[in-house]
Amino acid sequence: MRALSKTLAALALCGMASLAQAADSAICYNCPPDWADWGTQLKAIAASTGVQVPLDNKNSGQSLAQLVAEKAAPVADVVYYGVTFGLQAQKAGVVEGYKPKAWDQIPAGLKDPAGHWFAIHSGTLGIMVNVDALGGLPVPQSWADLLKPQYKGMVGYLDPSSAFVGYVSAVAINRAMGGDLDNFAPAIDYFQKLAKNAPIVPKQTAYARVLSGELPILVDYDFNAYRARYKDNANVAFVIPQEGSISVPYVMSLVANAPHRANGEKVLDFVLSDEGQALWAKAYLRPVRPMKMPAEVAAQFLPDSDYARAGVVDYEKMAAVQEAFAARYLNEVK
Amino acid sequence: MATSAKHASWALAPAFAVLLAFWLLPLAHLIVLGTESRDSHGSGYWQVLSSAQYLGSLGQTLVLAVVVTLVALLIGGISGVFLARQHFFGRSALVALLTFPLAFPGVVVGFLVILLAGRQGLLASLGLQLAGERWIFAYSLAGLFVGYLYFSIPRVILTVMAACESLDRSLEEAAHSLGAGHWRVVCDVIVPGLAPALASCGAICFATSMGAFGTAFTLGTRLNVTPVAIYNVFTNYANFAVAAALSVVLGAVTWSVLLLTRRLVKNSGTVL
Amino acid sequence: MKRSSLFVLQLLFTLLVCAFMLVPVLMSLLAGLTRNFFVGVSSGLTFDWIVQVWQAYSPTVWLSLQLAVACAVCVCVIGVPAAYALVRMNNRFSRAFEELMVLPVAMPGLASALALLLTYGQFGTFRSSWLFILVGHVLFTLPFLVRPVMAVMQRQHLPVLEEAAASLGAGPIKRFFSVVVPNCRAGILAGVLMVVTLSLGEFNLTWMLHTPMTKTLPVGLADSYASARLEIASAYTLIFLLMIVPLLIALQAISARLSRGERR
Repeated sequence: MRALSKTLAALALCGMASLAQAADSAICYNCPPDWADWGTQLKAIAASTGVQVPLDNKNSGQSLAQLVAEKAAPVADVVYYGVTFGLQAQKAGVVEGYKPKAWDQIPAGLKDPAGHWFAIHSGTLGIMVNVDALGGLPVPQSWADLLKPQYKGMVGYLDPSSAFVGYVSAVAINRAMGGDLDNFAPAIDYFQKLAKNAPIVPKQTAYARVLSGELPILVDYDFNAYRARYKDNANVAFVIPQEGSISVPYVMSLVANAPHRANGEKVLDFVLSDEGQALWAKAYLRPVRPMKMPAEVAAQFLPDSDYARAGVVDYEKMAAVQEAFAARYLNEVK
Repeated sequence: MATSAKHASWALAPAFAVLLAFWLLPLAHLIVLGTESRDSHGSGYWQVLSSAQYLGSLGQTLVLAVVVTLVALLIGGISGVFLARQHFFGRSALVALLTFPLAFPGVVVGFLVILLAGRQGLLASLGLQLAGERWIFAYSLAGLFVGYLYFSIPRVILTVMAACESLDRSLEEAAHSLGAGHWRVVCDVIVPGLAPALASCGAICFATSMGAFGTAFTLGTRLNVTPVAIYNVFTNYANFAVAAALSVVLGAVTWSVLLLTRRLVKNSGTVL
Repeated sequence: MKRSSLFVLQLLFTLLVCAFMLVPVLMSLLAGLTRNFFVGVSSGLTFDWIVQVWQAYSPTVWLSLQLAVACAVCVCVIGVPAAYALVRMNNRFSRAFEELMVLPVAMPGLASALALLLTYGQFGTFRSSWLFILVGHVLFTLPFLVRPVMAVMQRQHLPVLEEAAASLGAGPIKRFFSVVVPNCRAGILAGVLMVVTLSLGEFNLTWMLHTPMTKTLPVGLADSYASARLEIASAYTLIFLLMIVPLLIALQAISARLSRGERR
């Protein structure tokens, strides 16, 4: 009985100690280990700056909502999300301006002048396919191909009302089908048609499910597909659809009233440093700072002729119409 | 013993304090929060009760919970009575295996359903071999139903086995000696005898299914049962008023069904 | 003849139910040890996945254990006296309190967690610490200790023992610790095992209350199911089962002993 109470007291003390141990850590919302190789980046951050950042699988929309919900007493220190969410976060007043060390090297259109958000890398949207899991079917080459009944139950795309990559999918498909940011009817029409093909619509990154074959076809970025093929040695193909696609940047912000502000700043400095940006390049992302991509990495990308099909859109406008589109998607696409 | 009882009531103070501070107060806050409105859409309760989407989701959750409860009672009842009455080699091992899933969190159950009925699941390969097409139902309501059954059946089996111990077998023997067939005995003697236990166990299964979140979350892409709707509204839009209103309405519906069941059980009285 | 065919039918039915329960679990155990589940067992067995899971997720295991023990301690401290009071009082108030106590279990966990978050979320240090999750667990597991302890107290003829102690001059607190508690050891033990098991598996409340720094085992599991490879998720589930199954066995053994004691 004595021994038991002693053990319990020790455990309680450990608990108290762990409360104090938060000193060398920073909380990042949306730093999933399987996305854009954040796993390696987080390890490098810990090794180089000593700041431990736990992984987090929230998507962009969930991160923003959590920041808004916690506005009175923030839990996170930094946040990573798509550019339109960065703009919305700035409007909601949950992030504050911070200019990291390599600020001047970020191109003008890819950062908020006051530092509320800034791009760290970008990618191009397309179709990521686990060729083995197709069971002999041809690899789809266009958005229209995904509607074919032979791919029933095999197609996945992230939730456009919640994840940034989902919203980007909607914008890209919309643009490819002839619509623009003022007219989302082609996208809604497409998703309604796709709904008949029994799609899987996860809310969070489904990278591992593509690798395991549970989800053979996923609308996702080039960097995830290349990593699957060349780092994880899966028989994955990446296709930039014939009708066209878009490239988008992902941004980071410092959370307003962050509990571990100094650690958060160190994290932001690192992802923009030479070492951090090189890690992004090795993970097949296009770093925001102008730097030469290693030759062997560049060789593994699809040819430039394919990338010519990917354009860019006005991010401010994209952010402004996002909420209306999300509501429309939830209402009309069942 | 009067002094003892008065002294004893002091012992209730810590538990009461905890419940008051961390449950009653927050619940009151939640109820009040539901009356707030955001963007002039009307109060949270109004938005919930006037929206076809939320009412539909509530209805879907309710129907699912009821069907799961009834099916679990049926399956668990048959197995439970069988295991309580018959003694054979390996019986206690079988009982242990059947009741382990009771402690599994909903997420694990969702994962097991994916293993069973997902794209690479057992039934998918079975279907491929037997019928040439994969049988995948993990991500639909059928998958959710199977998941809820998974953690409800063990509960029923345990309760029925315990209740069987206190059944009066002389009544069954009397019925047999009066010429009643096996099924008559089951319907007219055994089931009424087990009724209070089945009702209270069914109530717990119902409450668990109504509030279950983990399973739907894991399976969840097209499922919109109310706990998932609450989570979505809170995490996608930080819409506290609607999230609070939905939670309160869900809780109220669950609690009233539980109350009703208890009233019915009390009124029917114990049969034996 | 008819009787035995009924027996066989029921046995088959029960075995089918058992298969339904067991087969996915076995598949999950196997998948956690298989090199590549998509290819099948022919790709070889390995402990690599378990090692990977341990390296990535071991903090969740420790936090869950810590929470379970802390929860058991808290629930004992407030629950055993409460059970005593409820058994002694046995009036309108005690019945109302029992109702209140069961509500956090009957109502959806998500609602309780939301209420906690919206009311206490603004206290930053409290909200970001594991104590926030502890509160949720204590609310949820309290009835599972109080009920068995009440049942045992009612059986043990405590009034007689207490009167004897009182007549020998023991005050109420001394009576509680030297007469009441030792006689309910079995009930407390059964309740504590149940509380620990429930706390280890609690998800609905914990999901809303956690932060990336305070992830418990079920929360980590949910993360891995959503985003990680099937093999990693299965290996993680394997670890969880290894923790839970011994507890369940102990629980069943103690409950069996308790019910045998009752029949004596």
